[in-house]
Amino acid sequence: MTACQTPQLQPITPSYRLRLLSDEQLDDFQSASLEILEEVGIHCPSDKALKIYAENGARVDFNTQIVKFPQQIVLNAIAHAPRHYTMGARAADFDLYLDGKHFYCTTDGCGTEVIDFITRERRASRKEDVAQMARVADYLPSIGFYWPMVSAQDFPAIAPLHELEASFNNTIKHIQTETVMDELMAHYAVEMAKIIAGSEATQRARPPLSSLVCAIAPLAQDKGGMEAALVFAEAGLPVGFMSMANAGSTSPATISGTLVVADAEIVAAMVLIQMAYPGAPIYHSMMPGIMHPRTGAYLATPWEGQLPYAIGVELAHRWGVPTLSGIFGTDATIPGWQSAAEAAANLLLCALVGADTGAGLGLLESCTVLYPEAVILDSDIYHQIRVEARGIDTSREAMALDVIRAVGPRGHFLRHKHTREHLRKLELSDLCAQPDPMGGYRDPVELARERVNWILENHFPQPLSQEEQTELRHVIKTAEREFEAA
Amino acid sequence: MSTEHPPIEPIVTPYQMRFLDETQLSALQSATLAVLETVGVQFPSKQALAIFAEHGAAVDHETQVVRIPRDLVYKAMSTVPRYPVLGARDPALDIHTQEGMTFFTNDGCGHQTVDFRTGEHRSSTKADLVMMARIEDYLSAISFFWTIVSAQDCGFTSSLHEIEVAWNNCSKHYQSVTLLGAERCRYGVEMATVLRGSREEIRVRPPLSMICCSIAPLIQDKDAIEGALVFAEAGLPVVFMSMPTLGTTAPATYAGALAIGDAEVISATVLMQLASPGAPVFHSILHAWADPRTAAYVGYPLDSRARYAPVEIAHHWGMPCLGGAFGTESAELDSWQSAAEIATDPLLVALAGAEIVTGIGLRDTYTLLYPEAILLDADLYHRARYALMEMEVRPETLALEAIKKVGPGGHFLSQKHTRTHMRTALVRAITHQLDADNKYRPPRDVAREKVTWILENHHPEPLENAIQQELARIIKAATLELER
Repeated sequence: MTACQTPQLQPITPSYRLRLLSDEQLDDFQSASLEILEEVGIHCPSDKALKIYAENGARVDFNTQIVKFPQQIVLNAIAHAPRHYTMGARAADFDLYLDGKHFYCTTDGCGTEVIDFITRERRASRKEDVAQMARVADYLPSIGFYWPMVSAQDFPAIAPLHELEASFNNTIKHIQTETVMDELMAHYAVEMAKIIAGSEATQRARPPLSSLVCAIAPLAQDKGGMEAALVFAEAGLPVGFMSMANAGSTSPATISGTLVVADAEIVAAMVLIQMAYPGAPIYHSMMPGIMHPRTGAYLATPWEGQLPYAIGVELAHRWGVPTLSGIFGTDATIPGWQSAAEAAANLLLCALVGADTGAGLGLLESCTVLYPEAVILDSDIYHQIRVEARGIDTSREAMALDVIRAVGPRGHFLRHKHTREHLRKLELSDLCAQPDPMGGYRDPVELARERVNWILENHFPQPLSQEEQTELRHVIKTAEREFEAA
Repeated sequence: MSTEHPPIEPIVTPYQMRFLDETQLSALQSATLAVLETVGVQFPSKQALAIFAEHGAAVDHETQVVRIPRDLVYKAMSTVPRYPVLGARDPALDIHTQEGMTFFTNDGCGHQTVDFRTGEHRSSTKADLVMMARIEDYLSAISFFWTIVSAQDCGFTSSLHEIEVAWNNCSKHYQSVTLLGAERCRYGVEMATVLRGSREEIRVRPPLSMICCSIAPLIQDKDAIEGALVFAEAGLPVVFMSMPTLGTTAPATYAGALAIGDAEVISATVLMQLASPGAPVFHSILHAWADPRTAAYVGYPLDSRARYAPVEIAHHWGMPCLGGAFGTESAELDSWQSAAEIATDPLLVALAGAEIVTGIGLRDTYTLLYPEAILLDADLYHRARYALMEMEVRPETLALEAIKKVGPGGHFLSQKHTRTHMRTALVRAITHQLDADNKYRPPRDVAREKVTWILENHHPEPLENAIQQELARIIKAATLELER
């Protein structure tokens, strides 16, 4: 096994922009969130957070743990949040610039089951799966940063830290955790980030780790999640807040009403971070669903399901913060027509409205099951959208007038130098346009499986130094002892 | 026995995307004008050459190449109607093309069918067309009907049989993909006149239109263009379609292929306007790529950026446009590829503002019919339709009162607001249909079941007997004349 070069990232850089909401509609949404925060408030079961809210002018009822926010307090706090910042990687070439021009995507995360890479049997996920998929993600230019794709269920006590160790050891890209949900665990995660960054200054300027914390709809926060977020923010690591309000059960049965609940939850959490650490990098993430009226299930992809994700991007930008948008996340149970049908248009919409980051490629069954080949299939859709969103060349060379003159009516362009030069530049799909020996095309799903196998056999990203690996193991051991003792 | 069809549901959107800027559009238009003026287009039709010559174009009768001065192009283009009407049998289904609305049709013209009952792969027949016309009459995603497969069991006059099938089994506008030649088109006009009752009426609400394809690079087809002249004279709309392939019949750069395609479409449009000023016409470029290893036709490479630039080119000329969508290369009914290649098409083409769009429902690059495929594609269509609908932001939808009542940590299940809106909040896709165990059913099974249901239950109003007999007489006369 020798170290291999990680291919350069290929973020989506759209030439076109789409606006879904008018300024007036955005104002209506912002006023609605402010009204709910002021009159209804949010439930925050963390004394530490309640104190911060109280010290900074929010109206806190310590008995009911309800926090209400005068509008100006919200606006003042959010004003400190940076719109643009960098999420660092191990190598600077792989840093992510949230600059309003690029759209970086990551895998899906925290699945619980895996279709085994070798036996194809369905089983519970393990730490080794996180490591294998980190290597696959490292190889794919579509993957800008890595979410540990499944849970390290073979290390139940401190699974999130094992997921981070498996990730840092197997990809040089930025890591974003969505499972570190208590204060103590967050301290260890920050320790690990420090080892990767090498210095406090690098950790703040190019943070190699970020975190995502989910709110509890409607209008409630998770104690562990919020306290972990404060630890990350103190260390200068970006932290984002996601709402998964479900229209009809945990939010009103209208898209607008669901967006109001979700936005208020996210904004309340962002306000806490800015009150505690003004200027800390944060992001907004809106991933609402719609309740299935017969089963109560969370559905991300009914006919009307796509719009809220893209609108979430516009709301985030209205608050002046970057976004993590919801992409892919199919409800399909196997890679096939449905997994593609549900994914493509949403990714395109998020790209066109200017999303900064997006998760997640590669899981099925509503973000729970890992088919190793799914990330390759999703990447093909990603690249299709990436190229679609680029501009068209209308230079004289591209319009080929001299060539058309030379060929004239009833000719052909096959032997022209211009054709030879430009046909080579044609980007064909790795999956859909691969000829088979019989003259047809090969099955894309079969090709995707072969591609995963090839990556796993051949791609070994630059490893961490022995010293860094030892230090990460040391953090894990210490954490294990402390959590076992607790 | 006849049953009502649901209303058509075009994509209606307040959003618009511009893929090309004014400078790029002007550069492309100048390229077209330069090609028309200096390279020219071959018209292998004496009738067409004579019309061009009469109006001052430079005609070489030997090579049949026509070079068109730009002033003549501009003059002719000034009479193109911007928003033509496509009339239906049922006036409620007439298509009034307009800004902000995109009307879709099915794909065409396939020649192979996977038999719905036996699963056998065979040549398409008139019976397949009858079945699909009935299914499409029922589907709200389909605003007008294209020849989805060819009635290959009907010989020389199959295109006329197809018209009869369309009107007898579908109340929507019919656009023929197979009509070719002045004689057949005259019979087509005759059939439209019988349906409407007079020549004047077919001009006002034309129930029939046609596709006229050119041959890249820069050639018109004699039969197609002479047929189009017959339609234009009668006031029936014609869609001029170019299908340049990058690397073989067009330069290997996209802009170059657009210049070739546009020159073909505009040369035909100019001819129509010179012969019949004000004739309703549509612009359409459906470009493709050549696979450098096999020379095969590739409709969906990875790089198909600005896929709907042709829509903007058409609008820059002041012409309405037919956009191309959904032509997957997958030969499977419901493979990953059959959705992955096409899923953004309806979204992008509607954002570009195409007036009409083909082609829902075929597989294997427009050639293979699975009758149930149209239900899967229609699902993608409706996803795009909902994604592009105007967002409702008003006090009732913002639900502030309900949110205040529930407060943090509650639930909305018992709220009146939820009961009022829950019924409409979830618009189920084909992927969210439950079985008896409350598990989601495979979309393919749902699609097959829907086809069976439509065929058993939906019977569009047939034509009056007298009209049916008159149409049959016209087809008989055409058969006698054309087979002689």
